[in-house]
Amino acid sequence: MFASVPDWMVRVTAFLIPIAFIFGVYPAIFALTTLVERKALGRIQNRYGPNRVGIFGILQPLADGLKILLKEDIVPRVADKFTHFLAPVLIVIPGLLVYLVVPVAPGMVAVDLKIGVLFALAVGTVSVIALFMAGWASRNKFSLLGAVRAVAQVVSYEVPTVMAGVAVIMAAGTLSTLTIVERQGGGILNVSNWYVFRPWGLVGFVLFIIGGLAESARCPFDLPEAESELIGGYHTEYSGFKFALFQMGEYLAGMAMAGVTVTLFLGGYMGPGSGPGLAGGLISMFWFFAKLAGMIVLNIWIRGTWPRLRVDQLMGFAWKVLLPLALVNIVAVGFWHFLTPRPLAWVVTTGWLVIWFLVLTKCNASARLEKREYRYV
Amino acid sequence: MNSAFWIISAVMVLGAVLAVTLRNLVHCVLALILFFIGIAAHYFLLRADFLGTVQILIYVGAVAVLILFAIMLTHNVTGTDGPRELLGLKWWSGAAIAAVLAYLLTRAIQSDKLAATLPAGDKAQSSVAEIGKALVAGWVVPLEAIAVLLTAALIGAVVIALEELRKSR
Amino acid sequence: MNYPGKGLMEGLAVTARNFVGSYFYKDRLTTVQYPEERVQTPENSRTFPFLVFEDSPDKPRCTACKICETECPPKCIYIVMDRDDKGKPMQRPKVFDIDISVCMQCQICVEVCPFDAIKMDNDYEKSKYERFDALVERLPDLLKPNEYYRKVKPTEASEVDARLKAEAEAKAAKKAAAAAAAAAKAAAQPPPAPTGTVT
Repeated sequence: MFASVPDWMVRVTAFLIPIAFIFGVYPAIFALTTLVERKALGRIQNRYGPNRVGIFGILQPLADGLKILLKEDIVPRVADKFTHFLAPVLIVIPGLLVYLVVPVAPGMVAVDLKIGVLFALAVGTVSVIALFMAGWASRNKFSLLGAVRAVAQVVSYEVPTVMAGVAVIMAAGTLSTLTIVERQGGGILNVSNWYVFRPWGLVGFVLFIIGGLAESARCPFDLPEAESELIGGYHTEYSGFKFALFQMGEYLAGMAMAGVTVTLFLGGYMGPGSGPGLAGGLISMFWFFAKLAGMIVLNIWIRGTWPRLRVDQLMGFAWKVLLPLALVNIVAVGFWHFLTPRPLAWVVTTGWLVIWFLVLTKCNASARLEKREYRYV
Repeated sequence: MNSAFWIISAVMVLGAVLAVTLRNLVHCVLALILFFIGIAAHYFLLRADFLGTVQILIYVGAVAVLILFAIMLTHNVTGTDGPRELLGLKWWSGAAIAAVLAYLLTRAIQSDKLAATLPAGDKAQSSVAEIGKALVAGWVVPLEAIAVLLTAALIGAVVIALEELRKSR
Repeated sequence: MNYPGKGLMEGLAVTARNFVGSYFYKDRLTTVQYPEERVQTPENSRTFPFLVFEDSPDKPRCTACKICETECPPKCIYIVMDRDDKGKPMQRPKVFDIDISVCMQCQICVEVCPFDAIKMDNDYEKSKYERFDALVERLPDLLKPNEYYRKVKPTEASEVDARLKAEAEAKAAKKAAAAAAAAAKAAAQPPPAPTGTVT
């Protein structure tokens, strides 16, 4: 029966299935994440999260979605209508495109590009244009300032992020995400070969997490959002569904960066019991989503804990600490690759990284203020 | 020369025409971004996926942002004041230069022998490893020259910023 | 030992402790799930006035003397004395309206009432679906028994009850003393002289 299906239909279905998977699973995870984030932040702050709509608040994302769809869509009279309309759309698209190269199980990646990692990073930079468009189209000085700061932040943090990815690419020898995950298999329980357990991998992991937080403008780098709490920021003049699209784009980008982090550093779908075949594939999917959930929980934990960085602290951190550290990390991968006895490679790489970490943090430490003396005259 | 080529080229030409005719400068830049994405699509069509991705990364992610920042500092973005002259002296001189350039480029492309030495479209496989090897083995001098140029630009930018800082103090 | 980033890690530990602790130690979460639970308001919190009656709603302590109407600063009370069939004023109100959208809860009406008839309630759930007519409390809504007053404000109510009882007893005692004095006076007086026996 299936032999008579025409060839073009097979091909179209073959690429519609992963797209349906991406469109179905990741926005659902986004909706769940908004709820989990609010409840987890509430517990951290000694209160319950939302628990009115449905048991444990499980229908809260539905209520939120309904509320924001029914809000009036206000466009300022002097706003640039075309750009104002296009910006929220352009923010969601790069967030979704990154999921195309994130492998979920052995062989299960939407598009197996030879340049997977580079594609993920390149597509992430397109959201910068959308941020600027949003701020410009609102014809509002505060929006423009917020957009300029957001753009500066995203562009600055892209550099250490990409460099941290380069370290992994050097070690794996390939740009394809599927191959990178495969390289992290083997070892004890499929776990010990993860790149996070290598010295340069640990530093790269931390750099990538920080870069991912900054690129999706999450705490502690949510200065664009904070301005929206105080003044405006790039999504002042947006209401209703467009605002929901901004939130969705930000969360999807954050989860996409989490997915890429899992792929590059945490071994993707590798875990005890993952392998080809149906059972191995299902276990792999479980491991991937468990790790993704772990990264999301880490993001939420960080959001509930650390204060926001000021814009000059933010830029200084990116250019003065993270970028040199990323370059040093690349040299460390070189050491790792070329020093043949493994223990020697471990010692040299770890020592190199620790020394540079201490030097950089020492050089960039803020001035130690003396204890204040109060004189009561 | 399949249909994808014509569709992408049509979109690119539309983007280029809009980029020079629209009144609002920001809309022009958006059309330019469409054009850049069209170029990236052409690269992908030619199986040069690394180059296509780098095109998006650099042109859309960095150059377009730079142009947008520069536009932000201009006054007359919406282009509403001042009459526009169609078919005046500027237009004719521009058209003449464009015609000369088109002729020269067509002749240069037609007389090029490079295409004959490379494998045909379907069999062309460019790999990032080969590009990397070529950069550090054969073409290392231009690579280092570009690096020196970029460093000089970076130092120049820092010097200009320092001057402003010193002046404002 | 101070390493760079130490404060950040300690912060993460604090929030993790908060998060885990909120599941096991219930006293970390101070949320009151309104409207299923309510915070107990203190006894002398006050919202809007109400009228007290002793035995039945037909015999409120209020005598419609209009002192509270006169003293009310935003003039939110409106009183009309009840008159019987012959037009004689009965000492009780026919109409007693308090506009709670105007009332500023200053308690002056309570302070000036000579009969302890009007007291402050502490019921704060007074929202209605309309603004103007629904927010005027009329006499049937305002009359509440003394048991309610005792339940809501025990200390005040017991103090008022004790005072009223003492006054009633003093009055009864004075009346009894006056009656006894009159009786004693009548008994102590010499009997009137009989007329017509003097020659």
